[in-house]
Amino acid sequence: MANVSKKVSWSSRDEDPAQGEGTPLLNGASAARYTRQFSGSGIFHIGRLSTVDLEEENVEEEGSILSRPKEIPHNEKLLSLKYESLDYDNSENQLFLEEERRMSYMGFRCLEISRWVVCGLIGFLTGLIACFIDIVVENLAGVKYHVVKQNIEKFTEVGGLSISLILWAVLNSAFVMVGSIIVAFFEPIAAGSGIPQIKCYLNGVKIPRVVRLKTLVVKVGGVICSVAGGLAVGKEGPMIHSGAVVAAGVSQGRSTSLKKDFKIFEYFRRDTEKRDFVSAGAAAGVSAAFGAPVGGVLFSLEEGASFWNQMLTWRIFFASMMSTFTLNFFLSIYHEKPGDLSSPGLINFGRFDSDSVEYNLYEIPLFICMGAIGGLLGALFNVLNYWLTIFRIRYIHRPCLQVMEAMLVAAVTATVSFAMIYFSNDCQPLGPDQSEEYPLQLFCADGEYNSMATAFFNTPERSVRSLFHNPPGTYNPLTLGVFTLSYFFLACWTYGLTVSAGVFIPSLLIGAAWGRLFGILLSAITSSGSIWADPGKYALIGAAAQLGGIVRMTLSLTVIMVEATGNVTYGLPIMLVLMTAKIVGDYFVGGLYDIHIKLQSVPFLDWEAPATSHSLTAREVMSSPVTCFNRIEKVGRIVDILSNTSTNHNGFPVVPRVNENNEPGRLCGLILRSQLIVLLKHKVFVERAHSRLKQRRLQLKDFRDAYPRFPPIQSIHVSQDERECMMDLTEFMNPTPYTVPQETSLPRVFKLFRALGLRHLVVIDSENRVVGLVTRKDLARYHLGRHGLEELQLAQT
Amino acid sequence: MAFTNIFAYVITLMLYEWLQASSVDVSVTIPESRVDGVSMTTSSVNRGVPVSPSLGPSSYLSLSLMSAFPDDLEISDYCQEELHIFAQRYVSYVNCLVSFVRPVKVCQNCHIQFRNLEEIYANISSDQVGPANVSCRDTLLRSDRLMLVFVLFDNLLEIWKTSACDRCLTKELSSLSNDTLYYMATLNQSLSCFEKHQQQGNHSELCKECKTTYRSLNELYSRMEKNKTLCIDIEDSMNMTRRLWSKNFNCSFPREETVPVIAVSSFMLFLPIIFYLSSFLHSEQKKRKLIHPKRAKSSGGLTNVQDKYS
Repeated sequence: MANVSKKVSWSSRDEDPAQGEGTPLLNGASAARYTRQFSGSGIFHIGRLSTVDLEEENVEEEGSILSRPKEIPHNEKLLSLKYESLDYDNSENQLFLEEERRMSYMGFRCLEISRWVVCGLIGFLTGLIACFIDIVVENLAGVKYHVVKQNIEKFTEVGGLSISLILWAVLNSAFVMVGSIIVAFFEPIAAGSGIPQIKCYLNGVKIPRVVRLKTLVVKVGGVICSVAGGLAVGKEGPMIHSGAVVAAGVSQGRSTSLKKDFKIFEYFRRDTEKRDFVSAGAAAGVSAAFGAPVGGVLFSLEEGASFWNQMLTWRIFFASMMSTFTLNFFLSIYHEKPGDLSSPGLINFGRFDSDSVEYNLYEIPLFICMGAIGGLLGALFNVLNYWLTIFRIRYIHRPCLQVMEAMLVAAVTATVSFAMIYFSNDCQPLGPDQSEEYPLQLFCADGEYNSMATAFFNTPERSVRSLFHNPPGTYNPLTLGVFTLSYFFLACWTYGLTVSAGVFIPSLLIGAAWGRLFGILLSAITSSGSIWADPGKYALIGAAAQLGGIVRMTLSLTVIMVEATGNVTYGLPIMLVLMTAKIVGDYFVGGLYDIHIKLQSVPFLDWEAPATSHSLTAREVMSSPVTCFNRIEKVGRIVDILSNTSTNHNGFPVVPRVNENNEPGRLCGLILRSQLIVLLKHKVFVERAHSRLKQRRLQLKDFRDAYPRFPPIQSIHVSQDERECMMDLTEFMNPTPYTVPQETSLPRVFKLFRALGLRHLVVIDSENRVVGLVTRKDLARYHLGRHGLEELQLAQT
Repeated sequence: MAFTNIFAYVITLMLYEWLQASSVDVSVTIPESRVDGVSMTTSSVNRGVPVSPSLGPSSYLSLSLMSAFPDDLEISDYCQEELHIFAQRYVSYVNCLVSFVRPVKVCQNCHIQFRNLEEIYANISSDQVGPANVSCRDTLLRSDRLMLVFVLFDNLLEIWKTSACDRCLTKELSSLSNDTLYYMATLNQSLSCFEKHQQQGNHSELCKECKTTYRSLNELYSRMEKNKTLCIDIEDSMNMTRRLWSKNFNCSFPREETVPVIAVSSFMLFLPIIFYLSSFLHSEQKKRKLIHPKRAKSSGGLTNVQDKYS
């Protein structure tokens, strides 16, 4: 087995033995070093384990392995080729220096001010979008529940309740079908909560189409449909994505999709600036979703924290604040209480009375215990969802199948809810304050309502609130138990469908249900317990535990929960609970978002390099040989290399002269594909230098105008004559790219990469000659598995 | 200070009555002392000492020192009169409330009393000056920490507000509103129907016969709920009727069609299983093409090592 797998994973050697033998010196050197440094087991694992998944395939097609490209079923141990890094590192070429020289002191001040303006706009628009979603969802769901309720009332009397069931299922499916179709057919990247994608973006991965206007439109429409369609989802996660898209759009001062350029904020048209604004947008999204401005800022820092500074944080906070304020203000107008700013956020946990918030020392162990339960349940949720997602990626990949699946889930959700309500015997008297929006009487006595219906026949947010705040005795334990169980599986099944929807609210709801159950049982077993075991309090703690167990966020989640509760008193218990949930959950499986990032094969860089990787050096990690350009390069060669689809490189080291026998040259700069394309488009050739003098010189602005969608090389026409021209790259390349010597260890390279947000790191030898190039994918493929260091494979997805 | 003031007033009153009962000549001096002030009062009480030897001289003295204040701090006759009326009306309203606790009929029966009470309180609390050129507001309502009159009235007002009696009454609280009267009539219809059939002992008959009246009552109730013309009397009577209807007579809807619901539900639950099975069997599995990165040199090194160890 080892023999076969070795051939598979390193078949390049077998295919091209000449290359390996062509560099006997390096080859021998590295081998020698291995025998010196290790016991060998670590590396042995790399080779062996990276191919464990191939075993079945190997058995089937033993003979033909080497002859054609390997195909394997999708799994989590892959890296997709379609993801690239962001160019966070600034290219300090001559154009940049020129521009900086031209810019006055006032210019810089104006830039700073416009950054604030952009952040304010981001917050404002995000708040508006949140407000829009909220109002539309409320109305649509209102209409739906009203229709179903009337129908149920009618048929309770004359018989034929199964028709109501079908009506409910059909209504749900219809809403979800619309939402699913726009996602599956128009913008698949808008599926899910969007938090994994934004996490990747803030990590420095450019996810295609993730911050486009079209994505935003589909996302907003999809969320409205899926929440109104009664799925076990929330609208909070997608808000974060929406905020990020708004930020990416506003900061550019134009929309490429609409082909409209407002000619403002042109300075911000590059990845460095855009990413800062996207983190502000994500923060604004969080703060609009939960009414948690501080939580939003912390979320941004937690996810993209390698690139922040004080001023940026302060601006992000400004954006968050603006978005909460805007949402609040417009919702207050909508609710006809203009100026009442006390209900921030889409989800409102409501006010906890001052006498129910008290907790005592002896409750702390109980809270910790609940945290552990939350961690366990969260891990179970994640594992189930992991298998489901793998199945979905492998088998349900056609859009029409995806739409069908979503509709089925919607129908089943309605069916389960209906059956629960139908068979529930839990009747409660109507309260004087009419906290139930759509009370269903069904078979209850007049003046009473079905208490299962408050949990199921309602938007999830309202259900959460009633679990938190309904007075003790509103639910009986059996109702809660059945509800928790069914909702757990529904939510787990729903997350990962091709609809845009978040997992925050379902998690909160599951947690609130079993938390309340916990509270009720607690006061039942302690005779005098009714005084301190307020079920609403335990519902809150349970919700926090469940959410923490599923998403495994740390600081930001604590602050979000505290802010959404509007009660600092709960800070300690919530923090304890989240810590326990994270510790317990991490023992079994990672957080839901991390699982989905892995399943999407994104080259995501963790905080640290894998612990046992110090023995790997840049030489083993890097890609080699590197395609280099001459300082003065022939246009024909550039075009050829750029249009070579099999390589698709993005950064090219520039050397004085490439030798005939591919001997590495001395490094003098680094140029990016995007820059080359702009140069080709403007035909900046040496031969044309004279005519160009009459024209305008190429400025940094020309590069920014092409950003972010640089035209593909195929769209640039280069005539046969022009192919013979030469191009001088000196002015445009980054003259001082980051480099490392080839003996640098992986953790060192990793640290440099992560801290500076690099895209390319040139590996040089002692004479400053280019030996290799380290990119994100080269680093992200190593990770620590259960059996030591494992290596991910590159795949086309 | 305000507290001691009232305290002193009460004691003065007590003394006054006692002295009136005990001796004639002292009773003459008391009003005089109230006119003259502290020093006079002290002397008058001193004069009273021999009349009641039962009281110890020292304790008597300490009480008597606080027993009266200068005239401008004392309560006027007019205010005392008002207070007296207040007390009477208060008692009558509370009496009424208590006698109509169950079933709740406080709005229909006690609104007159409440109106009277409110009237006198408004009198007391207004800053209009009474006949003796005095306003009772300050002396009676806010001279002390206890604010007894205010608190007493406020409690009753709270009860009135919670019961929402305003909604069932005409504007000036003089009589029941037309809506309420109409509701009462409908309610009586239902109840008499209940009574009629209840005697027959057959509840299913009752459910059938009284359904229309009960339903119209329910409809009227929900209409009134929407118009916000419900008060505690109506709510309570409706609650009782509903309980009678659903619990005592068992007229709510039975769960009859369990079978079709189960059938439809299980069909729905079955659909996803078919869907997943069919897509597992028929949809082709998505394969990923592996790409081999350019890593010629280092991979050579790795395989060499592997060869050694495998």
